[in-house]
Amino acid sequence: MEHANWSTIYPWLVWFLTALIGLGILLASLGMPLHIRRLPAIDAIEEAVGRATEMGRPMLFVPGLAGVDVPTFQAIAIAGHIARLAARYRSRILLPVTDTVILTMAEQVLREAYAEGGAPEAFHPEDIRYLSGEQFAFASGVVGLMNRERVAANFFFGNFAAESLILAETGQALGAIQIAGTPSTLQIPFFIAACDFTVIGEEYYAVTAYLTREPILLGSVWGQDICRISLAALILAVTLSHKLLQKSPTVLKFLGL
Amino acid sequence: MLTPLQDATVNLALVAGAIVVSLMVLVVLHASPPYIRRWVIVVVTFLAGLYVPLEFFIPRHNFLTVWRDPIGDLVRVLAGFTIGLGILNLLIVHGRHLLQRTTNFPFSLAFFVGFLSMTVVEFLHRYKPDLWAKKAGADQLPFWTAAHKVLFEGMLLPLTSTVFSLLAFFIVSAAYRAFRIRTLEAGLLMAAAIVVMLANVPVGTWLTSWLPTEGWLKWLRFENAALWLTTQINTPTMRSILFGAAVGGLGAALRIWLSLERSFAAGSQ
Repeated sequence: MEHANWSTIYPWLVWFLTALIGLGILLASLGMPLHIRRLPAIDAIEEAVGRATEMGRPMLFVPGLAGVDVPTFQAIAIAGHIARLAARYRSRILLPVTDTVILTMAEQVLREAYAEGGAPEAFHPEDIRYLSGEQFAFASGVVGLMNRERVAANFFFGNFAAESLILAETGQALGAIQIAGTPSTLQIPFFIAACDFTVIGEEYYAVTAYLTREPILLGSVWGQDICRISLAALILAVTLSHKLLQKSPTVLKFLGL
Repeated sequence: MLTPLQDATVNLALVAGAIVVSLMVLVVLHASPPYIRRWVIVVVTFLAGLYVPLEFFIPRHNFLTVWRDPIGDLVRVLAGFTIGLGILNLLIVHGRHLLQRTTNFPFSLAFFVGFLSMTVVEFLHRYKPDLWAKKAGADQLPFWTAAHKVLFEGMLLPLTSTVFSLLAFFIVSAAYRAFRIRTLEAGLLMAAAIVVMLANVPVGTWLTSWLPTEGWLKWLRFENAALWLTTQINTPTMRSILFGAAVGGLGAALRIWLSLERSFAAGSQ
Protein backbone atom coordinates (compact mmCIF):
# COMPACT_ATOMS: atom_id res chain seq x y z
CA MET A 1 0.00 0.00 0.00
CA GLU A 2 1.27 3.43 -0.88
CA HIS A 3 1.53 6.30 1.53
CA ALA A 4 0.02 9.77 1.27
CA ASN A 5 1.80 12.19 -1.03
CA TRP A 6 1.63 15.50 0.81
CA SER A 7 2.88 17.44 -2.24
CA THR A 8 -0.60 16.95 -3.80
CA ILE A 9 -3.95 18.35 -2.68
CA TYR A 10 -5.56 14.96 -1.87
CA PRO A 11 -4.37 14.26 1.71
CA TRP A 12 -4.96 17.93 2.62
CA LEU A 13 -8.44 17.69 1.17
CA VAL A 14 -9.29 14.56 3.18
CA TRP A 15 -8.26 16.24 6.45
CA PHE A 16 -10.04 19.46 5.48
CA LEU A 17 -13.29 17.58 4.76
CA THR A 18 -12.94 15.53 7.95
CA ALA A 19 -12.44 18.77 9.90
CA LEU A 20 -15.60 20.26 8.31
CA ILE A 21 -17.68 17.23 9.30
CA GLY A 22 -16.12 17.37 12.78
CA LEU A 23 -17.07 21.06 12.95
CA GLY A 24 -20.66 20.16 12.08
CA ILE A 25 -20.75 17.56 14.86
CA LEU A 26 -19.25 20.04 17.33
CA LEU A 27 -21.70 22.84 16.43
CA ALA A 28 -24.65 20.46 16.66
CA SER A 29 -23.54 19.18 20.06
CA LEU A 30 -23.30 22.81 21.21
CA GLY A 31 -26.96 23.24 20.35
CA MET A 32 -27.01 24.74 16.82
CA PRO A 33 -30.54 24.14 15.45
CA LEU A 34 -30.43 21.96 12.31
CA HIS A 35 -33.08 20.97 9.81
CA ILE A 36 -33.06 17.97 7.50
CA ARG A 37 -35.24 17.90 4.38
CA ARG A 38 -38.00 15.34 4.04
CA LEU A 39 -37.06 11.93 2.67
CA PRO A 40 -40.31 10.21 1.54
CA ALA A 41 -38.58 6.83 1.24
CA ILE A 42 -37.65 6.89 4.91
CA ASP A 43 -41.07 8.13 5.95
CA ALA A 44 -42.47 5.06 4.21
CA ILE A 45 -40.53 2.68 6.49
CA GLU A 46 -43.08 2.98 9.30
CA GLU A 47 -45.90 2.46 6.83
CA ALA A 48 -44.17 -0.69 5.53
CA VAL A 49 -43.68 -2.05 9.06
CA GLY A 50 -47.35 -1.31 9.87
CA ARG A 51 -48.53 -3.02 6.70
CA ALA A 52 -46.48 -6.14 7.40
CA THR A 53 -47.93 -6.24 10.93
CA GLU A 54 -51.48 -5.90 9.64
CA MET A 55 -50.93 -8.73 7.17
CA GLY A 56 -49.30 -10.88 9.86
CA ARG A 57 -46.32 -11.55 7.63
CA PRO A 58 -42.60 -11.00 8.27
CA MET A 59 -40.35 -8.34 6.74
CA LEU A 60 -37.09 -8.92 4.93
CA PHE A 61 -33.99 -6.77 5.33
CA VAL A 62 -31.07 -7.45 2.98
CA PRO A 63 -27.86 -5.61 3.97
CA GLY A 64 -26.21 -6.06 0.57
CA LEU A 65 -23.52 -8.31 -0.71
CA ALA A 66 -20.42 -6.71 0.77
CA GLY A 67 -18.55 -7.67 3.89
CA VAL A 68 -17.29 -5.25 6.50
CA ASP A 69 -17.43 -1.82 4.89
CA VAL A 70 -19.04 1.55 5.55
CA PRO A 71 -22.23 1.02 3.46
CA THR A 72 -22.87 -2.33 5.20
CA PHE A 73 -22.31 -0.76 8.63
CA GLN A 74 -24.80 1.93 7.65
CA ALA A 75 -27.23 -0.76 6.47
CA ILE A 76 -27.01 -2.60 9.80
CA ALA A 77 -27.61 0.68 11.64
CA ILE A 78 -30.76 1.20 9.53
CA ALA A 79 -31.80 -2.41 10.28
CA GLY A 80 -31.49 -1.57 13.98
CA HIS A 81 -33.91 1.33 13.62
CA ILE A 82 -36.39 -0.75 11.65
CA ALA A 83 -36.12 -3.48 14.30
CA ARG A 84 -37.00 -0.94 17.01
CA LEU A 85 -40.17 -0.11 15.05
CA ALA A 86 -40.90 -3.80 14.46
CA ALA A 87 -40.50 -4.51 18.18
CA ARG A 88 -43.33 -2.10 18.95
CA TYR A 89 -45.67 -4.24 16.83
CA ARG A 90 -44.02 -7.58 17.74
CA SER A 91 -43.21 -8.11 14.04
CA ARG A 92 -40.51 -10.38 12.63
CA ILE A 93 -37.57 -9.26 10.51
CA LEU A 94 -35.70 -11.81 8.43
CA LEU A 95 -32.13 -10.72 7.79
CA PRO A 96 -30.07 -12.92 5.44
CA VAL A 97 -26.33 -12.14 5.15
CA THR A 98 -23.44 -13.14 2.91
CA ASP A 99 -20.69 -12.48 5.41
CA THR A 100 -20.24 -14.26 8.72
CA VAL A 101 -18.76 -11.17 10.42
CA ILE A 102 -21.93 -9.26 9.50
CA LEU A 103 -23.99 -12.18 10.86
CA THR A 104 -22.67 -11.71 14.39
CA MET A 105 -22.90 -7.92 14.18
CA ALA A 106 -26.47 -7.98 12.84
CA GLU A 107 -27.58 -10.44 15.49
CA GLN A 108 -26.21 -8.23 18.27
CA VAL A 109 -27.71 -5.02 16.82
CA LEU A 110 -31.16 -6.56 16.28
CA ARG A 111 -31.20 -8.26 19.67
CA GLU A 112 -30.55 -4.90 21.35
CA ALA A 113 -33.02 -3.11 19.10
CA TYR A 114 -35.82 -5.51 20.02
CA ALA A 115 -34.91 -5.17 23.72
CA GLU A 116 -34.96 -1.37 23.37
CA GLY A 117 -38.29 -1.55 21.56
CA GLY A 118 -39.70 -3.34 24.60
CA ALA A 119 -40.11 -6.77 23.04
CA PRO A 120 -36.98 -8.88 23.55
CA GLU A 121 -39.11 -12.02 23.25
CA ALA A 122 -40.06 -11.04 19.67
CA PHE A 123 -36.47 -11.44 18.56
CA HIS A 124 -35.68 -14.83 17.06
CA PRO A 125 -31.93 -15.44 16.52
CA GLU A 126 -32.71 -17.89 13.70
CA ASP A 127 -34.23 -15.03 11.68
CA ILE A 128 -30.70 -13.72 11.13
CA ARG A 129 -29.43 -16.18 8.59
CA TYR A 130 -26.15 -16.81 6.89
CA LEU A 131 -27.06 -18.09 3.43
CA SER A 132 -23.92 -18.19 1.30
CA GLY A 133 -20.85 -16.15 0.50
CA GLU A 134 -21.44 -16.73 -3.21
CA GLN A 135 -23.37 -14.01 -5.04
CA PHE A 136 -26.02 -15.99 -6.93
CA ALA A 137 -26.34 -18.74 -4.32
CA PHE A 138 -27.17 -15.92 -1.90
CA ALA A 139 -29.62 -14.36 -4.38
CA SER A 140 -31.46 -17.65 -4.92
CA GLY A 141 -31.50 -18.23 -1.16
CA VAL A 142 -33.10 -14.81 -0.57
CA VAL A 143 -35.62 -15.37 -3.37
CA GLY A 144 -36.55 -18.73 -1.81
CA LEU A 145 -36.91 -17.10 1.61
CA MET A 146 -39.17 -14.37 0.17
CA ASN A 147 -41.43 -16.93 -1.48
CA ARG A 148 -41.63 -19.38 1.41
CA GLU A 149 -42.22 -16.75 4.10
CA ARG A 150 -44.47 -14.57 1.85
CA VAL A 151 -42.80 -11.41 3.13
CA ALA A 152 -44.93 -8.27 3.21
CA ALA A 153 -42.14 -5.69 3.14
CA ASN A 154 -38.65 -5.73 1.70
CA PHE A 155 -35.80 -3.42 2.69
CA PHE A 156 -32.70 -3.47 0.50
CA PHE A 157 -29.97 -1.31 2.00
CA GLY A 158 -26.25 -1.69 1.28
CA ASN A 159 -23.89 -2.52 -1.55
CA PHE A 160 -25.54 -4.55 -4.27
CA ALA A 161 -24.44 -5.93 -7.62
CA ALA A 162 -26.29 -7.83 -10.38
CA GLU A 163 -28.51 -9.64 -7.87
CA SER A 164 -30.30 -6.39 -6.98
CA LEU A 165 -32.89 -6.75 -9.74
CA ILE A 166 -33.45 -10.47 -9.07
CA LEU A 167 -34.34 -9.63 -5.45
CA ALA A 168 -36.39 -6.51 -6.19
CA GLU A 169 -38.39 -8.06 -9.05
CA THR A 170 -39.24 -11.12 -6.95
CA GLY A 171 -40.47 -8.83 -4.18
CA GLN A 172 -42.48 -6.85 -6.73
CA ALA A 173 -44.10 -10.06 -8.03
CA LEU A 174 -45.03 -11.01 -4.45
CA GLY A 175 -46.69 -7.63 -3.93
CA ALA A 176 -44.38 -6.63 -1.08
CA ILE A 177 -43.86 -2.96 -0.31
CA GLN A 178 -40.21 -2.32 -1.17
CA ILE A 179 -37.78 0.33 0.05
CA ALA A 180 -34.22 0.35 -1.21
CA GLY A 181 -31.11 2.41 -0.66
CA THR A 182 -27.66 2.03 -2.11
CA PRO A 183 -24.59 4.17 -2.72
CA SER A 184 -23.81 1.96 -5.75
CA THR A 185 -24.63 4.13 -8.79
CA LEU A 186 -24.94 1.13 -11.12
CA GLN A 187 -27.74 -0.45 -9.09
CA ILE A 188 -29.80 2.71 -8.44
CA PRO A 189 -31.73 2.47 -11.78
CA PHE A 190 -32.75 -1.13 -11.06
CA PHE A 191 -34.05 -0.26 -7.63
CA ILE A 192 -35.89 2.79 -8.95
CA ALA A 193 -37.60 0.60 -11.57
CA ALA A 194 -38.54 -2.23 -9.22
CA CYS A 195 -39.04 -0.68 -5.77
CA ASP A 196 -41.71 1.61 -4.35
CA PHE A 197 -39.20 3.97 -2.74
CA THR A 198 -35.48 4.42 -3.32
CA VAL A 199 -32.86 6.32 -1.37
CA ILE A 200 -29.98 7.40 -3.58
CA GLY A 201 -26.46 8.71 -3.23
CA GLU A 202 -25.74 10.83 -0.17
CA GLU A 203 -29.29 10.31 1.17
CA TYR A 204 -28.19 6.79 2.02
CA TYR A 205 -25.77 8.08 4.65
CA ALA A 206 -28.32 10.50 6.08
CA VAL A 207 -30.93 7.86 6.90
CA THR A 208 -29.91 7.23 10.52
CA ALA A 209 -29.71 10.99 11.18
CA TYR A 210 -33.18 11.42 9.64
CA LEU A 211 -34.67 8.55 11.65
CA THR A 212 -33.20 9.45 15.03
CA ARG A 213 -32.95 13.27 14.66
CA GLU A 214 -30.00 13.05 17.03
CA PRO A 215 -28.19 16.42 16.97
CA ILE A 216 -24.73 14.84 16.57
CA LEU A 217 -25.80 12.81 13.54
CA LEU A 218 -27.62 15.81 12.05
CA GLY A 219 -24.44 17.82 12.60
CA SER A 220 -22.42 15.31 10.58
CA VAL A 221 -24.97 15.56 7.74
CA TRP A 222 -24.71 19.36 7.87
CA GLY A 223 -20.90 19.04 7.78
CA GLN A 224 -21.14 16.79 4.73
CA ASP A 225 -23.28 19.37 2.93
CA ILE A 226 -20.67 22.04 3.67
CA CYS A 227 -18.02 19.63 2.29
CA ARG A 228 -19.99 19.23 -0.95
CA ILE A 229 -20.43 22.98 -1.32
CA SER A 230 -16.69 23.50 -0.69
CA LEU A 231 -15.72 20.82 -3.21
CA ALA A 232 -18.11 22.19 -5.82
CA ALA A 233 -16.64 25.67 -5.25
CA LEU A 234 -13.11 24.26 -5.63
CA ILE A 235 -14.03 22.49 -8.89
CA LEU A 236 -15.64 25.68 -10.21
CA ALA A 237 -12.67 27.84 -9.21
CA VAL A 238 -10.14 25.48 -10.83
CA THR A 239 -12.25 25.24 -13.99
CA LEU A 240 -12.65 29.01 -14.31
CA SER A 241 -8.99 29.74 -13.60
CA HIS A 242 -7.63 26.90 -15.71
CA LYS A 243 -6.04 29.27 -18.25
CA LEU A 244 -4.30 31.14 -15.44
CA LEU A 245 -3.18 27.91 -13.78
CA GLN A 246 -1.48 26.75 -17.00
CA LYS A 247 1.22 29.30 -16.27
CA SER A 248 2.02 27.72 -12.92
CA PRO A 249 3.11 24.06 -13.26
CA THR A 250 3.70 23.77 -9.49
CA VAL A 251 0.07 24.60 -8.70
CA LEU A 252 -1.14 22.27 -11.46
CA LYS A 253 0.99 19.45 -10.03
CA PHE A 254 -0.34 20.16 -6.54
CA LEU A 255 -3.89 19.92 -7.90
CA GLY A 256 -3.06 16.65 -9.62
CA LEU A 257 -3.82 18.08 -13.08
CA MET B 1 8.31 -8.90 12.15
CA LEU B 2 6.58 -11.89 13.74
CA THR B 3 8.03 -14.32 11.19
CA PRO B 4 6.89 -17.97 11.39
CA LEU B 5 9.11 -20.20 13.54
CA GLN B 6 10.85 -23.20 11.99
CA ASP B 7 10.31 -25.43 15.02
CA ALA B 8 6.97 -27.25 14.62
CA THR B 9 6.62 -27.94 18.35
CA VAL B 10 7.05 -24.28 19.25
CA ASN B 11 4.62 -23.36 16.49
CA LEU B 12 2.00 -25.79 17.81
CA ALA B 13 2.51 -24.54 21.35
CA LEU B 14 2.04 -20.95 20.17
CA VAL B 15 -1.13 -21.83 18.25
CA ALA B 16 -2.52 -23.70 21.27
CA GLY B 17 -1.60 -20.78 23.54
CA ALA B 18 -3.27 -18.30 21.15
CA ILE B 19 -6.46 -20.41 21.11
CA VAL B 20 -6.50 -20.61 24.93
CA VAL B 21 -5.92 -16.84 25.28
CA SER B 22 -8.64 -16.10 22.65
CA LEU B 23 -11.11 -18.33 24.46
CA MET B 24 -10.27 -16.66 27.76
CA VAL B 25 -10.83 -13.22 26.22
CA LEU B 26 -14.18 -14.40 24.81
CA VAL B 27 -15.25 -15.83 28.18
CA VAL B 28 -14.22 -12.65 30.04
CA LEU B 29 -16.05 -10.46 27.49
CA HIS B 30 -19.13 -12.64 27.65
CA ALA B 31 -19.20 -12.53 31.44
CA SER B 32 -18.57 -8.79 31.72
CA PRO B 33 -21.49 -6.34 32.11
CA PRO B 34 -22.82 -4.52 29.00
CA TYR B 35 -21.16 -1.18 29.82
CA ILE B 36 -17.73 -2.85 29.95
CA ARG B 37 -18.39 -4.51 26.57
CA ARG B 38 -19.52 -1.17 25.23
CA TRP B 39 -16.26 0.49 26.25
CA VAL B 40 -14.18 -2.36 24.85
CA ILE B 41 -15.95 -1.95 21.49
CA VAL B 42 -15.59 1.85 21.56
CA VAL B 43 -11.86 1.74 22.41
CA VAL B 44 -11.01 -1.04 19.94
CA THR B 45 -12.98 0.68 17.15
CA PHE B 46 -11.24 3.97 17.87
CA LEU B 47 -7.73 2.46 17.95
CA ALA B 48 -8.30 0.37 14.82
CA GLY B 49 -9.80 3.37 13.03
CA LEU B 50 -6.85 5.49 14.10
CA TYR B 51 -4.18 3.06 12.97
CA VAL B 52 -5.12 2.79 9.28
CA PRO B 53 -5.25 6.55 8.41
CA LEU B 54 -2.19 7.31 10.56
CA GLU B 55 -0.17 4.61 8.84
CA PHE B 56 -1.28 5.96 5.46
CA PHE B 57 -0.84 9.67 6.14
CA ILE B 58 2.62 9.45 7.72
CA PRO B 59 4.81 9.60 4.62
CA ARG B 60 6.85 6.61 3.47
CA HIS B 61 7.70 3.52 5.53
CA ASN B 62 7.10 4.47 9.16
CA PHE B 63 6.99 2.92 12.62
CA LEU B 64 3.39 1.82 12.03
CA THR B 65 4.04 0.12 8.68
CA VAL B 66 5.76 -2.88 10.32
CA TRP B 67 2.46 -3.74 12.03
CA ARG B 68 0.45 -3.75 8.80
CA ASP B 69 0.82 -7.45 7.98
CA PRO B 70 0.35 -8.75 11.56
CA ILE B 71 -2.81 -6.62 11.88
CA GLY B 72 -4.06 -7.95 8.54
CA ASP B 73 -3.46 -11.49 9.83
CA LEU B 74 -5.28 -10.67 13.07
CA VAL B 75 -8.32 -9.43 11.12
CA ARG B 76 -8.30 -12.60 9.00
CA VAL B 77 -8.11 -14.80 12.12
CA LEU B 78 -11.01 -12.90 13.72
CA ALA B 79 -13.04 -13.32 10.52
CA GLY B 80 -12.09 -17.03 10.56
CA PHE B 81 -13.68 -17.41 13.99
CA THR B 82 -16.98 -16.16 12.58
CA ILE B 83 -17.03 -18.70 9.71
CA GLY B 84 -17.70 -21.38 12.31
CA LEU B 85 -20.60 -19.29 13.60
CA GLY B 86 -21.98 -19.01 10.04
CA ILE B 87 -21.91 -22.79 9.60
CA LEU B 88 -23.45 -23.26 13.05
CA ASN B 89 -26.25 -20.84 12.09
CA LEU B 90 -27.01 -22.85 8.94
CA LEU B 91 -26.97 -26.14 10.83
CA ILE B 92 -29.29 -24.82 13.57
CA VAL B 93 -31.83 -23.27 11.17
CA HIS B 94 -32.00 -26.28 8.86
CA GLY B 95 -31.62 -28.85 11.66
CA ARG B 96 -34.69 -27.39 13.37
CA HIS B 97 -36.73 -27.61 10.14
CA LEU B 98 -35.68 -31.21 9.73
CA LEU B 99 -36.36 -32.28 13.32
CA GLN B 100 -39.72 -30.52 13.50
CA ARG B 101 -40.71 -31.74 10.00
CA THR B 102 -41.95 -28.29 8.98
CA THR B 103 -43.48 -27.76 5.55
CA ASN B 104 -40.10 -26.55 4.29
CA PHE B 105 -38.13 -29.54 5.54
CA PRO B 106 -37.27 -30.89 2.02
CA PHE B 107 -35.24 -27.69 1.43
CA SER B 108 -33.35 -28.31 4.66
CA LEU B 109 -32.72 -31.90 3.63
CA ALA B 110 -31.32 -30.61 0.33
CA PHE B 111 -29.08 -28.27 2.31
CA PHE B 112 -27.65 -31.11 4.44
CA VAL B 113 -27.08 -33.34 1.41
CA GLY B 114 -25.38 -30.50 -0.49
CA PHE B 115 -23.36 -29.30 2.48
CA LEU B 116 -22.06 -32.72 3.49
CA SER B 117 -21.34 -33.96 -0.03
CA MET B 118 -19.50 -30.76 -0.98
CA THR B 119 -17.44 -30.82 2.24
CA VAL B 120 -16.48 -34.48 1.99
CA VAL B 121 -15.74 -34.42 -1.75
CA GLU B 122 -13.67 -31.24 -1.58
CA PHE B 123 -11.70 -32.48 1.41
CA LEU B 124 -10.91 -35.84 -0.22
CA HIS B 125 -10.17 -34.19 -3.59
CA ARG B 126 -7.58 -31.99 -1.88
CA TYR B 127 -5.93 -34.53 0.41
CA LYS B 128 -6.74 -38.11 -0.65
CA PRO B 129 -8.08 -38.12 -4.23
CA ASP B 130 -7.72 -41.94 -4.55
CA LEU B 131 -9.18 -42.96 -1.17
CA TRP B 132 -11.54 -45.98 -1.30
CA ALA B 133 -11.25 -46.02 -5.08
CA LYS B 134 -9.25 -47.79 -7.75
CA LYS B 135 -5.92 -46.08 -8.49
CA ALA B 136 -6.46 -43.77 -11.48
CA GLY B 137 -4.59 -44.52 -14.70
CA ALA B 138 -2.24 -42.07 -16.42
CA ASP B 139 -5.01 -40.56 -18.58
CA GLN B 140 -7.72 -40.75 -15.88
CA LEU B 141 -8.75 -38.41 -13.13
CA PRO B 142 -8.63 -39.72 -9.55
CA PHE B 143 -12.12 -40.67 -8.30
CA TRP B 144 -12.58 -37.77 -5.86
CA THR B 145 -11.17 -35.24 -8.35
CA ALA B 146 -13.77 -36.43 -10.85
CA ALA B 147 -16.46 -36.16 -8.15
CA HIS B 148 -15.25 -32.62 -7.41
CA LYS B 149 -15.56 -31.70 -11.10
CA VAL B 150 -19.09 -33.14 -11.27
CA LEU B 151 -20.25 -31.24 -8.19
CA PHE B 152 -18.54 -27.92 -8.87
CA GLU B 153 -18.29 -27.65 -12.64
CA GLY B 154 -21.25 -29.87 -13.43
CA MET B 155 -23.71 -28.61 -10.80
CA LEU B 156 -22.69 -25.46 -8.96
CA LEU B 157 -21.52 -23.43 -11.96
CA PRO B 158 -24.58 -24.22 -14.15
CA LEU B 159 -26.89 -23.42 -11.22
CA THR B 160 -25.11 -20.09 -10.69
CA SER B 161 -25.34 -19.30 -14.41
CA THR B 162 -29.05 -20.18 -14.35
CA VAL B 163 -29.78 -17.69 -11.57
CA PHE B 164 -27.70 -15.05 -13.39
CA SER B 165 -29.59 -15.66 -16.64
CA LEU B 166 -32.91 -14.95 -14.86
CA LEU B 167 -31.70 -11.37 -14.81
CA ALA B 168 -32.45 -11.02 -18.53
CA PHE B 169 -36.17 -11.67 -17.92
CA PHE B 170 -36.27 -9.47 -14.85
CA ILE B 171 -34.71 -6.60 -16.84
CA VAL B 172 -37.56 -6.85 -19.35
CA SER B 173 -40.28 -6.73 -16.69
CA ALA B 174 -38.54 -3.88 -14.83
CA ALA B 175 -38.05 -1.95 -18.08
CA TYR B 176 -41.73 -2.40 -18.94
CA ARG B 177 -42.73 -0.78 -15.64
CA ALA B 178 -40.13 1.97 -15.90
CA PHE B 179 -41.14 2.91 -19.44
CA ARG B 180 -44.85 3.29 -18.84
CA ILE B 181 -45.40 6.95 -19.66
CA ARG B 182 -47.33 8.39 -16.74
CA THR B 183 -45.32 11.48 -15.96
CA LEU B 184 -43.07 13.91 -17.83
CA GLU B 185 -39.98 12.25 -16.29
CA ALA B 186 -41.12 8.80 -17.42
CA GLY B 187 -41.70 10.21 -20.92
CA LEU B 188 -38.19 11.69 -21.04
CA LEU B 189 -36.77 8.39 -19.78
CA MET B 190 -38.62 6.52 -22.51
CA ALA B 191 -37.42 8.93 -25.24
CA ALA B 192 -33.81 8.71 -24.05
CA ALA B 193 -34.02 4.92 -23.85
CA ILE B 194 -35.37 4.66 -27.42
CA VAL B 195 -32.52 6.82 -28.74
CA VAL B 196 -29.81 4.87 -26.87
CA MET B 197 -31.30 1.48 -27.79
CA LEU B 198 -31.64 2.37 -31.48
CA ALA B 199 -28.08 3.71 -31.55
CA ASN B 200 -26.84 0.31 -30.38
CA VAL B 201 -28.49 -1.75 -33.14
CA PRO B 202 -27.61 -1.61 -36.88
CA VAL B 203 -31.15 -0.72 -37.91
CA GLY B 204 -31.05 2.35 -35.66
CA THR B 205 -27.92 3.77 -37.24
CA TRP B 206 -29.33 2.92 -40.68
CA LEU B 207 -32.53 4.89 -39.95
CA THR B 208 -30.63 8.17 -39.59
CA SER B 209 -27.73 7.37 -41.94
CA TRP B 210 -29.12 9.83 -44.52
CA LEU B 211 -28.41 12.77 -42.18
CA PRO B 212 -25.13 14.67 -42.75
CA THR B 213 -22.06 13.72 -40.71
CA GLU B 214 -21.02 17.37 -40.32
CA GLY B 215 -22.82 20.50 -39.12
CA TRP B 216 -25.53 20.76 -36.45
CA LEU B 217 -27.75 18.15 -38.13
CA LYS B 218 -25.20 15.44 -37.30
CA TRP B 219 -26.51 15.53 -33.72
CA LEU B 220 -29.83 14.11 -34.92
CA ARG B 221 -28.13 10.89 -36.02
CA PHE B 222 -28.96 8.24 -33.41
CA GLU B 223 -25.34 7.29 -32.70
CA ASN B 224 -24.37 10.93 -32.03
CA ALA B 225 -27.48 11.67 -29.98
CA ALA B 226 -26.87 8.54 -27.90
CA LEU B 227 -23.23 9.49 -27.38
CA TRP B 228 -24.31 12.96 -26.25
CA LEU B 229 -26.92 11.52 -23.87
CA THR B 230 -24.51 9.04 -22.28
CA THR B 231 -21.45 11.30 -22.02
CA GLN B 232 -23.03 14.69 -21.39
CA ILE B 233 -26.16 13.78 -19.40
CA ASN B 234 -25.73 10.33 -17.90
CA THR B 235 -22.04 10.43 -16.91
CA PRO B 236 -22.15 13.81 -15.08
CA THR B 237 -25.32 12.73 -13.25
CA MET B 238 -23.78 9.43 -12.16
CA ARG B 239 -20.60 11.21 -11.11
CA SER B 240 -22.48 13.77 -9.07
CA ILE B 241 -24.37 10.99 -7.24
CA LEU B 242 -21.05 9.24 -6.62
CA PHE B 243 -19.50 12.52 -5.48
CA GLY B 244 -22.26 13.06 -2.92
CA ALA B 245 -22.12 9.42 -1.77
CA ALA B 246 -18.33 9.54 -1.33
CA VAL B 247 -18.57 12.55 1.00
CA GLY B 248 -21.46 10.83 2.79
CA GLY B 249 -19.27 7.74 3.17
CA LEU B 250 -16.56 9.86 4.78
CA GLY B 251 -19.09 11.25 7.27
CA ALA B 252 -20.48 7.79 8.03
CA ALA B 253 -16.96 6.42 8.53
CA LEU B 254 -16.23 9.22 10.98
CA ARG B 255 -19.45 8.49 12.91
CA ILE B 256 -18.63 4.77 13.11
CA TRP B 257 -15.01 5.47 14.11
CA LEU B 258 -16.10 7.75 16.96
CA SER B 259 -18.97 5.36 17.89
CA LEU B 260 -21.54 8.09 17.33
CA GLU B 261 -23.88 5.68 15.50
CA ARG B 262 -25.98 4.44 18.39
CA SER B 263 -26.58 1.01 16.87
CA PHE B 264 -22.88 0.17 16.98
CA ALA B 265 -22.11 1.60 20.37
CA ALA B 266 -23.65 -1.66 21.63
CA GLY B 267 -24.63 0.09 24.77
CA SER B 268 -27.98 1.43 23.91
CA GLN B 269 -29.42 -0.79 26.61
